[in-house]
Amino acid sequence: MTAQDSPRGSLPDAPASEGSTLLRRRGLTGDRVFRTATGAAAVLALALIGLMAYDSISSTGPVFDRFGIWGFVTGTRWSPSFTIYGALPFIYGTLLTGLISVVLAVPIAIGIALLVTEFLPRRVAGPVAIVVDLLAAVPSVVWGLWGLLVLVPVLRPFEQAAAGSIGRVLPFLGPPTPGPSYFAAGLIVAIMIIPIVAAVTREVFAATPRLQREAILALGGTRWDVIRQVVIPIGRTGLFAAIILGLGRAIGETIAVTLVIGNSPKIAGSIFAPGFTLASVIANEFNEATEELHPEALIALGVVLLAIAVLINGGGVLVRRRFEQGVRLGR
Amino acid sequence: MNVLAVVAFAVALVPLAAIAWYVVTKGIGVINVDFFTQDPPGDLSAAGGGIRNAIVGTLEMTGFAALIAVPVGLLIAVFDVEVGGRPAVVIRFVIDVLAALPSIVVGIFVYSLVVVAQGHFSGLAGSIALAIIMLPPVVVATEEMLRLLPRSIAEGARALGLSRWRSFLSIFLPTAFSGIFTGVLLAVSRAIGETAPLLFTSLGNNFFSLDMSEPMQGLPLLIYRNALNSAFPAAEARAFGAALTLVAMVLLFNLAGRWMVARSRPSGSR
Repeated sequence: MTAQDSPRGSLPDAPASEGSTLLRRRGLTGDRVFRTATGAAAVLALALIGLMAYDSISSTGPVFDRFGIWGFVTGTRWSPSFTIYGALPFIYGTLLTGLISVVLAVPIAIGIALLVTEFLPRRVAGPVAIVVDLLAAVPSVVWGLWGLLVLVPVLRPFEQAAAGSIGRVLPFLGPPTPGPSYFAAGLIVAIMIIPIVAAVTREVFAATPRLQREAILALGGTRWDVIRQVVIPIGRTGLFAAIILGLGRAIGETIAVTLVIGNSPKIAGSIFAPGFTLASVIANEFNEATEELHPEALIALGVVLLAIAVLINGGGVLVRRRFEQGVRLGR
Repeated sequence: MNVLAVVAFAVALVPLAAIAWYVVTKGIGVINVDFFTQDPPGDLSAAGGGIRNAIVGTLEMTGFAALIAVPVGLLIAVFDVEVGGRPAVVIRFVIDVLAALPSIVVGIFVYSLVVVAQGHFSGLAGSIALAIIMLPPVVVATEEMLRLLPRSIAEGARALGLSRWRSFLSIFLPTAFSGIFTGVLLAVSRAIGETAPLLFTSLGNNFFSLDMSEPMQGLPLLIYRNALNSAFPAAEARAFGAALTLVAMVLLFNLAGRWMVARSRPSGSR
C-alpha cells in the first residue's frame, strides 16, 4: 500500500491558513512552530537525498559527453580496458530477466491469490498468506547463495534437454547452457517477487463487489464462473498494476542476480546463456573499477536503471490509481 | 479449477522448503560458539574463524540507521497528516519514489555524496544508505496509524484545549505507538538483509571494528563475498552458516512485528 492511497485521515483538519483567526486569537504559536519544524525536517531530509541524486547524475557528465546519451544507451560494446562503454547489453539483460521473472511469477501469484480469496475458508487463508510472505522475508543474498549452489546445477540438465530439443527450432531456448544464465536469474527473481504480486492481487480480488459475485451465483454459476466472469474482468486494471509492481521490483534485484547470471557483457540470443543486468554489472564491477571512466560509466548505468525503474513504477502507480477510482465509483 | 490454485501454492512452497532445508542443514554444521566469537580468516578459503565482526557490524549499522530513519520518518509522517494539502502530496510522492528505488541506486547515491566527501568507505555511509531504505516503510506505517486514530480522540484533545503539537506528543503518537513500532520492526527486518547498498558504502572489513568512520563488515556482505568464493568448501560452509544466522535475525524481527500486529487485532481478521 503506497503512502498516497490512504484516504484523508480521521484526524480533524488543521486550520488551512496560517493566519486563521483561531490561531491568531489563541496565540498558538507553538502550533505554527510545530508545523514549520516538521515541514523543515521533511524538506531537509528529502533535499539531502536530492543532493545525492544530483551528485551522482552530474558525475556521469564525462561519460555522456564522450558517447552522447543515445550513443551510450544503444552502445553494444562494454570494454573498460579500451574505454568503450555501451549500456545496451545490460538494458537487454535487465528487461529479459524482468520479463522471464514476470512470466514465471504472475500465474503462480494469481493462483495463490485466487486460492486465498475464493477457495480457502478464512481460518486457513491467514496462515497461507503468512507462508507466502515468508518467501519475501528471505534476504536477496541468501536466495543468490542457494541459487548458485543448488538451483543452477539442478537446472542444468533440464536446460540442456530443452536446448537439445525445442532449442533447435527456437533459438532463444537453444544453447549455450553453461549453468548461470538469464533464465536462472529470471527464475530466482520470480521466486522473490511472487509474494508482492500475490499480495497486491489478493487485495485486488478481495475488492470485487459482492453484488456482482452474488449475482453470478444466483444465476447458478459455479465458483469458477464467478472468477472468470466477475473477479478477473473487474480486477483487470488492478491485476495489471500488480504485474507492473512485480516488474519494477524485479528489475531492481541485484545480489541474487549477480550470483546466478554468469556475468557476461554480451547480448546473447538464448535465455540459457550467461549475461548481465544493469544492477548486477554495477555490483560486480564497481569496487574494482580502476580504468578510465569506468566508475562514471557504471554510475551512468545506474542512472539508466533509475530511469527505467521510475518509468515502470510510475506507470504502475497511474494504473493503480485508475483501478482504485474504478472501485470507488462502484463499477 | 481449485486444483490449479492449490498447485500454484505448492509450486511457490517448493523453493521455500528447499531453501529452508539447505540453509539449515548446511549451515548448522558450521555453527558453534567460535562461529559467533571469532572473526573470519583473512583468506576466505581457509577453514575456521567466525562471523563475529559481521554480526556486530550489521547490528551497529542497522541500529544507527534506525536512529536516523525513525525520527525523520515520524516527522515527515506527522507533517503529512497535520499540514496535508499540496506539500503533503508532493512529499508522499517523493517517498513513494524512494520506496521503488533499486537498492543499488541508493548505494550509488550515498557513495556519491558521503563516501566521496569523506574520502573513504565507512560504516556511517552504510548506515545512511540503510536509513534511506528504511525511511519509506516507517513513513507509510506511521501515516497509516495516525490516520486510523478515531476522530473522538482528536476532538477530545481539542475540547480539552490542547494545542496541536501537545496533542501529537502526548496523545496521538503514544496511542499509535504499537502500530508505528511494528512498522519500524518490519523496516529493520528488511534493512538487515540488504547487501547492495553496503557494497560501496561500508565496503566490508576483515577485522573486528566498532568504528563507524572505518569500513565495516556486514552479514549480507560476508555472505556475498563467501558465495563468490564458494568453490572453496570452507567459504561455502561459512556462507551457509552466516546465511542461517542472517535468516534467523530477519525472522526474529519479522515475526516480532507480526506478533505485535496480531496482538492489536483481537478479532484476527484478514
